[in-house]
Amino acid sequence: MEIIEEKQSDINIFRLNGRLDSNTSQGFEQKIFQAITDGSKHLVVDFKDLDYISSAGLRVILKATKAIKREDGQIMLCAMQDYVKEVFEIAGFDSFLPIVATMDDALKSF
Amino acid sequence: MAKKEFSFELKSSLSELDNLCEKLENFGQKIGLSKKLIFEVNLALDELFTNIISYGFGDDKEHIIKVTLTPQKEELCLCIEDDGTPFNPTDFATPDVASSVENCKIGGLGIHIIRKLMDEICYQRCDGKNILTLKKNLSNEAS
Repeated sequence: MEIIEEKQSDINIFRLNGRLDSNTSQGFEQKIFQAITDGSKHLVVDFKDLDYISSAGLRVILKATKAIKREDGQIMLCAMQDYVKEVFEIAGFDSFLPIVATMDDALKSF
Repeated sequence: MAKKEFSFELKSSLSELDNLCEKLENFGQKIGLSKKLIFEVNLALDELFTNIISYGFGDDKEHIIKVTLTPQKEELCLCIEDDGTPFNPTDFATPDVASSVENCKIGGLGIHIIRKLMDEICYQRCDGKNILTLKKNLSNEAS
């Protein structure tokens, strides 16, 4: 999986490309937690090019959401493909995680 | 749909997930499964495989996990076999679906996902092996 990091003013954007599973989730966890440790309060995860997610991927998203909330920050998840969104729905995570349709929606929410 | 068995072996390493994905995509295309179904089968087998690798073996030796897929007329039968410690995923109760970030616990999530995706789950312990059989109804599949 490829992770492209980008910064727009005070927002850290993570663009995920490929498959987020138990083999790749650790690399993503390190990157997103590094941003939180470095003091970032606004995170966006762009799912547009993510083809697959398993519970290991959901676990990282949940941990990051808890961590950023403790810092009074905010995370937004955007542009999920249908199958990926369905995994969030099956887990019941769609009811409490901030999932929006587009990157624009995510950026506007801060 | 022809009743033909397809099986392959995976080594006990998480990097084999890419191999699992490739094998399932080839198999799915060959027998005309939808992309959605291939995704769901991949996810269910990934969750099981990850569980086996994470908790199944108390040593650093290489183990083999065998996967067999059998398409039948109205269902797809998936069988996953390992020589790890006895583990019956059907013993686990489905976790309550969380309503907030704060009360969301992550344990058991993989098994919850498998239950939601599959129509039948059956566990056997036989000759020192865990044998888990999953069935997925194909009646909603256009093939």
